[in-house]
Amino acid sequence: MPSSFASPPDAPARESSRPQLAILATLALLLIALYWALIGAPTEATMGTIQRIFYYHVPAAFAAWTAFGVNAIASIAYLARRSLKADAWAVAGAEVGLAFLTINLITGPIWARPVWGVWWVWDARLTLTLAMWVMYASYLILRQLTPEGSLQPRLAAALAIFFAADIPIDYMSIRWWATQHPSPVLFGGPDSGLAPRMLVALLLSLAAFTCLMAILVWMRYRQQLARVEITRLRQRLALAEE
Amino acid sequence: MNDWRVFLAVLRRDLRIELRTREAMLAMGFYALLVIVIFSFAFNADAALTARAGGGLLWVAFLFAALVALDRAFLRESAEASLTGLQTTPASPAAIVGGKFASSFLLILALEAVLLPLFAVLFNAPPATRWWGVIATMLLGTWALAANGTYFSAMSVHARQRGLLLPLLLLPVSIPAILAMVQATQVYLSGAGVANYWLKLLVGYDIIFTLLGLALAEVVLAVE
Repeated sequence: MPSSFASPPDAPARESSRPQLAILATLALLLIALYWALIGAPTEATMGTIQRIFYYHVPAAFAAWTAFGVNAIASIAYLARRSLKADAWAVAGAEVGLAFLTINLITGPIWARPVWGVWWVWDARLTLTLAMWVMYASYLILRQLTPEGSLQPRLAAALAIFFAADIPIDYMSIRWWATQHPSPVLFGGPDSGLAPRMLVALLLSLAAFTCLMAILVWMRYRQQLARVEITRLRQRLALAEE
Repeated sequence: MNDWRVFLAVLRRDLRIELRTREAMLAMGFYALLVIVIFSFAFNADAALTARAGGGLLWVAFLFAALVALDRAFLRESAEASLTGLQTTPASPAAIVGGKFASSFLLILALEAVLLPLFAVLFNAPPATRWWGVIATMLLGTWALAANGTYFSAMSVHARQRGLLLPLLLLPVSIPAILAMVQATQVYLSGAGVANYWLKLLVGYDIIFTLLGLALAEVVLAVE
């Protein structure tokens, strides 16, 4: 895997083994986490086997939020410096984050239905997650619908900054709203009295998902840079042919 | 160039265009009326429903009206290439976006002024309704929608599927504001609960996003 696409054409492609190593390590970590989630961790007393979704549900949310953080920081960096790399990080963070948030939003109701008896409740956390999903989906649609060029990253970065201002306000308002309309009492929260073997499973899953997220963001970042370069080369080619 | 004068010039110009093409205002007003009427059919509107969900119903109707008005904010600039004029003028982009925000704000307010009495009648708003509260919420909420709506309207001008993109961008970001508008209006309609928190949230939201929109105005008025 060439680590730089700006290298001169006759130089040998440098095989960097680090990405492959990282991918293998993450794969191993995911398998170990899977074992611990399904077998290693004890079965929960009240909820039974379905509770094991927890080991994917929570790390998915954590990975999503971290990826969105990458998007926020990269967007600010883009507006400050107009660096294409910053924009590539931004779109990578948004896409991967949305994917993990989708996992979070799907595993949630699957878990909720047998445990709470309902697919969905309008409590603070769920509502905020849904709001964030909708926001980042709109970000990707904006990118999709604006033509590639210097404007798309700028508009997207501005939107990302709107999100950064919006999410804290969202959190406050939804929390207040949820206290006004009390929901059914949920289970005691993931960090209330977690058995030690459950904690191990959770931490392993957390590590595995974070590594997976990091690799996906990295790959998407590289792909974005390549995509921009290809567009630029195509434009030069078109100009040269005139 | 004086920012304040640019702001007033843009505002006056937009209002003049709207007032001259009166059929557009008529059509928008009728659209708003239709929304309320259809809603009253669809929801079997009665006093009990209004006491429970009136805030939400009213604001969905207002949202429809707002989206129609906001769509036009930068859409009319595509004629006569006036958008390019706005983009390349040395005037401050914040003043231009500000002027457009002000005209959209007034336009949406005018539509809501038509809608509100209709809502009160067709939906049997309870006699205990505190109308000053409803109107205060209307002003603050419309400010929020118009501020972000103008900004995203400017943003969608550069995109394909312009008409579709505006609500897609506006609604997610407006979630906390919409929550606040609806809850506050519900409090004033039903007479139960306290709306102070929601009003404070709206004021904070309005301030933050107006400043943000003005600070980032040059991004949406940039030329490719």
